Amino acid sequence: MSGTVNELPRVAFFDFTSCEGCQLTVLDALQTHPELLKVVNIVEFREASSARSEDYQIAFIEGSCTRPGDEERLRKIRETAVYVIALGACAHLGGINAIRNRQPLLDVRQYVYGDKAEWYDTYPARAIDQVIQVDAVIPGCPIDRDEFVRVVTVLLQGRQPKLPDYPMCIECKLHENICVYERGQVCLGPITRAGCNAICPAYGYGCEGCRGLVSAPNMESFQEVLAQHGLSQAEIDEKLSLFLTNQTLLEKELVHG
Amino acid sequence: MERITIDPITRLEGHGKIDIFLNEEGDVANTYFQIPELRGFERFCVGRPVEEMPVLTNRICGVCPEAHHMAAAKAGDAVYGVEPTSAAKKLRELLYMGFYFTDHTTHFYALGGPDFVMGPDAPVAQRNILGVIHKVGLEIGGKVIQARKYGHTVVEMLGGRKVHPCTSIPGGVTKGLTEAERQEIEKMGRWGIEFAQFSLQLFSDLVMGNPYYVDLILGDIYTHKTHYMGMVDENNHVNFYDGKVSIVDPDGKRLGKYAPADYTDWIAEHVEPWTYLKFPYLKNVGWKGFTDGNDSGVYMATPLSRLNASDGMATPLAQERYEQFYDTLGGKPVHQRLATHWARLVELLYAAERLVELATDEEITSDKLHNVPTQTPTEGVGIVEAPRGTLTHHYWTDERGILTKVNLIVGTTNNYAPITMSIKKAAKSLIKKGTVVNEGLLNMVEMAFRAYDPCFGCATHSLPGQMPLQVTIRNNEGEVMDVLSQYVHPAFLCER
Repeated sequence: MSGTVNELPRVAFFDFTSCEGCQLTVLDALQTHPELLKVVNIVEFREASSARSEDYQIAFIEGSCTRPGDEERLRKIRETAVYVIALGACAHLGGINAIRNRQPLLDVRQYVYGDKAEWYDTYPARAIDQVIQVDAVIPGCPIDRDEFVRVVTVLLQGRQPKLPDYPMCIECKLHENICVYERGQVCLGPITRAGCNAICPAYGYGCEGCRGLVSAPNMESFQEVLAQHGLSQAEIDEKLSLFLTNQTLLEKELVHG
Repeated sequence: MERITIDPITRLEGHGKIDIFLNEEGDVANTYFQIPELRGFERFCVGRPVEEMPVLTNRICGVCPEAHHMAAAKAGDAVYGVEPTSAAKKLRELLYMGFYFTDHTTHFYALGGPDFVMGPDAPVAQRNILGVIHKVGLEIGGKVIQARKYGHTVVEMLGGRKVHPCTSIPGGVTKGLTEAERQEIEKMGRWGIEFAQFSLQLFSDLVMGNPYYVDLILGDIYTHKTHYMGMVDENNHVNFYDGKVSIVDPDGKRLGKYAPADYTDWIAEHVEPWTYLKFPYLKNVGWKGFTDGNDSGVYMATPLSRLNASDGMATPLAQERYEQFYDTLGGKPVHQRLATHWARLVELLYAAERLVELATDEEITSDKLHNVPTQTPTEGVGIVEAPRGTLTHHYWTDERGILTKVNLIVGTTNNYAPITMSIKKAAKSLIKKGTVVNEGLLNMVEMAFRAYDPCFGCATHSLPGQMPLQVTIRNNEGEVMDVLSQYVHPAFLCER
């Protein structure tokens, strides 16, 4: 695809509650793959530019929705964009922000804001698709640079991006990693969607599940595996809650503040 | 009363900003610098296993996850009473030097430096890395990208990822270094030493060679005589990864050094009603308000503070630059905040030299990576020097290692009081009766806090290095009289 800047697909990046690590990874990708800048027209990207636009076709959203006021902004993005992509674990899952969903929110607010807690309209952290329809996801905390480039490429070819739909264990086997359970650690690999090259297990650290659940994960079998390794239900829940609070624990015990 | 608001577009629930209040005469009545809190991290870490903290707290910030990763791992060591293996400590420090190298490079070339290279009054469209490249030469752009990439590569090799590394755990690390990787790091480190020397020369030529900038740096607007803090090794040389925290008074006299576990003997926190962040101060000196001098407990923790609080640098080339720094600026301590940019480059050189030292250490490819914790966990403190100041993680756990309480004093928090003072002083000196508040003037106010590189990611780390600011001027009815905007030039796309 080529053409004048005006003919290129107009792309915007938006951020909600997050650490911005995913946008920083996008900036990294634009540096290692500068040719991307020849096939899209980035019209809004706060991390790199203060230009603003209300005319875009593709919207990338980083971060969770953590305030009622965020919802309106999200709906506006949905109305404007043809294609909405959740960028990273906060947008995809609620991510780290959702840990607090298991704690009484007034408690969290008072801890942070003291007697001014009422001033801040924080509510349980939501994934973007809990508020608006999302057309595609680039998972991970942070996102994988190569996967980002791949998804964008596929999108520009007019195809629907597909993510690997098998558990992390398969990638780990392909890499011939020693199973971290063999080292006496816990790993969410058996239920987590592959696609990051199993970085954490390859570096000797159990998978945290930042890419979300694979479709139809065998949770019962997984919980048995954890139980075999001497983990209590509370410890298993703790493990799952790092990234997967909304996906695995929400119905059980979400406390609305 | 007129009110000017400098409102960096924040990522953290939208309440970090500068308010400048003018009185009826048009003079500055007061300034407030409000910093957003950490998204409740201290609270929601409670109930989680302490081993998880290195990978959880790094998610506080995508700009400096390595600092939280290290402080959390060290606090984890302390909680379990386990000493990491010697090789593990070196590997952690090596990763950390890679991080420092990238971070300091970014600050100088993309954030703080453009004010000097281009001049504080230069149009905002030029006051960025692109302007620097245009003025100094195209070649420099490639070098800056290379420098950032090299630092990141070290982090990625040892930490798994450039953003949010995952390999430091209580008792050591999970990943070692192969001989091939070691050689690559050594090569990058040697290039890094050259790059740091080049950067110092650039500073010397462009900034110290220009009488206007020398006056600006040495002038009163950006000067505060406060206490200084920084971590030092057993020889009182600057150390980013380990050691004791040294405190010196405004005359440069060392008041003492504390081990991480003793930080509460030295630091207390003051609360103001208009902001949710606390102001740390030196407990033994006491809180005397937003004022400098020997009787005020206000301290600073930045690259300049680290140099002031130490007796020198642990590597030879950085030591030469350290001496040159104090010889040129009139001896220790240096109180001029804008000299922080120079101090940062001295540290850049140290980071590169230390990187090579570690990469050539015969133990660095050892496979003795981890000592398994055997004691019952209780309580522990971990301290590292984040690029923006001393970073303290303090954890309390039950006997299973589940956190019962967490206290974090992040780099920027240390500097909250001095930043507030600097903004006020700059605003008062620059905005006077009848002054038209324009972009250049606001930049001079911004420069007051850009020197501290506050990790306010949204603000100073909004690449390519300028802060998206919107300044709203209101009359005393609260009506908007004027809106001034500083727009960032969409260009230099940094690596993260």
